[in-house]
Amino acid sequence: MTTRYSCFLAALFGVFLGGLLVWHILLPDRARSEVENRTLAQFPDFSWESLRDGSFTKGVEDYFADQFPLRDDWTGLKARTEQLLGKREFKGVYLCGETLIAKVEPPRDGLEEKNLSRVARLAERAEVPVYLGLIPSAAEIWQDRLPKGAESWDQAAFIARVAEVKGVEPVDFLAALRDRAGEAVFYRTDHHWTTLGAYYGYAALMEALGRGEEVLGPDAFKPRVSPHAGEFQGTLYSQSGVHWLAPDAIEFWAEAEGLSVTSWRGGTPEEAELYDFSHLLGKDKYSAFLGGNQPLCVIKNPEGTGKLLLIRDSYSDALAPFLALHFEEVHLLDLRYYRYSAAGYAGENGMDQIAVVYSVPNFITDRNLALLAR
Amino acid sequence: MVFSSLTFLFGYLPLTLALYFITPLRRRNFVLLLASLFFYGWGEPVYVGVMLLSIFIDYTHGLLVERFRGRDRLARWFVGQSVVFNLLLLGFFKYWDFLAVNLSLLPGVSIPELGLPLPLGISFFTFQTMSYTIDVYRQDAPVQRNAIAFGAYVTLFPQLIAGPIVKYKTVAKELVKRTVTSEDFAQGVCRFTVGLGKKVLLANAAGELWESCLGTQAAGTLTTAGGWTGLLAFGFQIYFDFSGYSDMAIGLGRMLGFRFDENFDHPYLSASVGEFWRRWHMSLTSWFREYLYIPLGGNRGGTARTLRNLLIVWFCTGFWHGASWNFILWGLYFALWIILERFALRDLLTRTPVWIRRGYTLAVVFVGWGIFAMEELGACGRYLAVCFGGGPLWSALDTYRLRSYAATLLLLALGSTTLAADLWRRIPERGRRMLAPVLMGAVLALSTAYLVDGSYNPFLYFRF
Repeated sequence: MTTRYSCFLAALFGVFLGGLLVWHILLPDRARSEVENRTLAQFPDFSWESLRDGSFTKGVEDYFADQFPLRDDWTGLKARTEQLLGKREFKGVYLCGETLIAKVEPPRDGLEEKNLSRVARLAERAEVPVYLGLIPSAAEIWQDRLPKGAESWDQAAFIARVAEVKGVEPVDFLAALRDRAGEAVFYRTDHHWTTLGAYYGYAALMEALGRGEEVLGPDAFKPRVSPHAGEFQGTLYSQSGVHWLAPDAIEFWAEAEGLSVTSWRGGTPEEAELYDFSHLLGKDKYSAFLGGNQPLCVIKNPEGTGKLLLIRDSYSDALAPFLALHFEEVHLLDLRYYRYSAAGYAGENGMDQIAVVYSVPNFITDRNLALLAR
Repeated sequence: MVFSSLTFLFGYLPLTLALYFITPLRRRNFVLLLASLFFYGWGEPVYVGVMLLSIFIDYTHGLLVERFRGRDRLARWFVGQSVVFNLLLLGFFKYWDFLAVNLSLLPGVSIPELGLPLPLGISFFTFQTMSYTIDVYRQDAPVQRNAIAFGAYVTLFPQLIAGPIVKYKTVAKELVKRTVTSEDFAQGVCRFTVGLGKKVLLANAAGELWESCLGTQAAGTLTTAGGWTGLLAFGFQIYFDFSGYSDMAIGLGRMLGFRFDENFDHPYLSASVGEFWRRWHMSLTSWFREYLYIPLGGNRGGTARTLRNLLIVWFCTGFWHGASWNFILWGLYFALWIILERFALRDLLTRTPVWIRRGYTLAVVFVGWGIFAMEELGACGRYLAVCFGGGPLWSALDTYRLRSYAATLLLLALGSTTLAADLWRRIPERGRRMLAPVLMGAVLALSTAYLVDGSYNPFLYFRF
C-alpha cells in the first residue's frame, strides 16, 4: 500500500464513522417515529444512581439507536438484503408475494386458557347473555399463502375450544372469513381486517346475536372514497422493514349520518366522529375508525334497537360502524384502559347483550382480561 | 461497551481515535488508559474499582519480583502471590456461585450464592496479568516501572473484553515506543471492517438460525435434520463471532500501533482435533501450554504423567469457558479425543485421506458445540439424542428453514475456508485497489443497517 492510498482508506473509514457522528449530533431529535408508530428514546438524565445501576448507559445506547440518522433507510436496506439472501421472514412477519402476514407465536404461561376461563367468569356474573368471538388473523385464513413449512400457531384449534366454554355463546368468525379467504379480508401491510373482512364479521356476529335476518347485503353500502385513504402502510410495513410493497387502501362503508358518537378519552365524555379522517393524513390511518384506541366509546342510533356491550380490541373499530346501524346503543369497552368491572358496567347501563370480540393474537397475549372476572 | 454497537462505532471509536492522534506520543499511554477505563466502565461502572485493584497488585508484584531477583525463594513467593491473587479474583467473581451450589449438595455444607454480575473480560485480563509477573520472573519480559504504561496494557480496550489474550512480552516494546504509519492504520481499518462484517452480518445470522432450532427443541418438535442444522449454525455462530471479534481487536490494535498475535487460523479446515486446537483461540491454547502444561512437566514424564497433565489442562480449558458442568464436560470431551489421537489413532489417521480426517474433525468439533451450547445437561442430552436418530428425521419446518438460510449457510461455509483470501490474492494489484474501498463501504453500510435494525422495537398501536 502506498502512503496516499493508505490515507485514502483511513479517511474513508474516518469519514463514515465521524460523519455519521456529526450528523447524529446536528440532527434534531425526534419525539416519535411516524413510520414505526412509537415514541423514540431521548437522551437520558444523568444521575450517579442511574450511572451505577447501568440505566444511564443503557439509556444513551437506546437514544443513540433511536435517533440514528436515516434510521428508516437503514431498516429498509436490511430488509432488502435479507430478501436477497432468500429470507422470507422479517422480524416475525412473513413476506408472501405482495402480502405481509404476521406470524403467531404460541401463547405463554397458559394465558390463552386463563383468558377463556375469565370469559366464562364474566358469563357467570353478567345478567345478560355473553358471546365470545375470536377473530383469526391472516396467518390462519391465508395459511396457504405462507411460505411452505413456515410456522404459525394453530388458531383454528384454539377457536374450536370456545364452543366448550360454559355459559358463553360462540361467534363463528373463523368460518365467515374462511369462506371468503379468496377476497381481500385482511390488509396486505397491516395486521387488521379490512372493511370487507369486518363486514363478513358483522354478518357472523349478527347471526350469533340472533338478528341474522337484519344483515344488510354488500350492495346496500357505497364505499366512500377519501383522500389519502389509499396510501395506507400499516403495522406490518413498519415491523418488517419491507417497504417496497404497494400501499393498502382503507374503505369506509357504513354512513355516519344519524349516529352520535361519544368518546371517553380523558375520563370525561366528548363528542366524537364515527370516522376521524384527520388520521388519514398521518401514518396510523387505521385509527380513522372511531379515532383509534380509547377506554370507552358509545355510538347511539335512535332508530336502532337493543343495547350491545362490545369488549373490544382494535379490530372492533372497523366492525362497530356496521353494528351501529342496527343497535340503539353500541358501547365499546377497552380493558386495557377501562379498569372497572365489565359485568358491573353492563348492569348499570342496561345492556342487553355482551360480546367479547378479540383477535386471536391479542386474546392469547392480553393480560388485562383478568378484569372480566371481576 | 461492545465493538458491534452503534455507540462504539459512531461515538466512542471516532472520538477516541481523534483524541489519541492529537495527543503527543509520550502522553498516548495515558489517553489510552483513560479511554480504556471509560470503555470498561460503560457497562459496569462499579467494576472499574476491581480493574484498578488488579492493575495495582500486578504492577507492584512485577516490581517486587524484579527487586528480589537475587533471592529466588522470595521472588517465587511474589510470583505465587500474584498468581493466587488473580485466581482468587477470577474464582470469586466467576466461580463462587457454581462452587456454592455444588458444595452445598454435600451434607452439612451450606454456602450462600452471591449472584454477582461477572466483571467484563475478567477471564482475559486476569490471565494477561498473570502472564506478566511470570514473564518478568522468567526474564522473558522486562519489568514495567511506569504504572500508566502498565495500566494501559491491562486495560487496552481492543482486547479487553474478548481477547486475544495478549501476553505482556508480545507488546512490551510497543508499550514503551510505538509508531503508527498510515499503512498500519489502513491495514488496521481493513482488518477491523472484516471483523465487523463477520460479527454483525454472519455470526448474528447463524445465531438466529441456532435460536430457531433451539426453539423447536423447546416445543418438542426437533428432528434429526433440525438438530444438525442447529449444531452447524451454532458452530458457525461461535466461530464468526469470536474470530470476528479477534479481527476487530487486532485491527484496532494495529490502528493504535500494536501488533497482536493471530488468534484463529481457519480452524474448520483442521485434519485432526489436536490441529483444531492449534488453530482455534490460539492465544488461549498457547497460554495454557506455556503457563500450565509445560510447568506441569508436559509430556516428558512418561505416559501416566502426560495423561494426567492433559486431563488437568483440558479440565481447566473447559472450566475457563464458564462456571458450569457442561463446560467441564466439553473440556474433558476434547481431552478424550486428544488422548485417543495421541495414543491410539495416530497411525490410522496418517493413513487416512485428508478429506476424511477433516470430516472426522468437524464431526467431533460440532458435536462438541452441542455440549458447549447447552448449559443444562438434561436438555443437552435430549438434543444430542435427537441428532443421533432419537426422533423424526425431517419436517416441513426443516425444509423452510434450510431454504431460508441456504445462501447464508453457503456464505458461512465458504467464509470458514481460505477461499476468500485466495481469491483476493489472485486479483491483480490494480483491481484490489479499486475493490477494497468499495467492499469496505459495503460492509460498513450493511453492518450499520443490521445494527440500526437490531434496535428496532416496534410498539405497534399500543402506546401506553
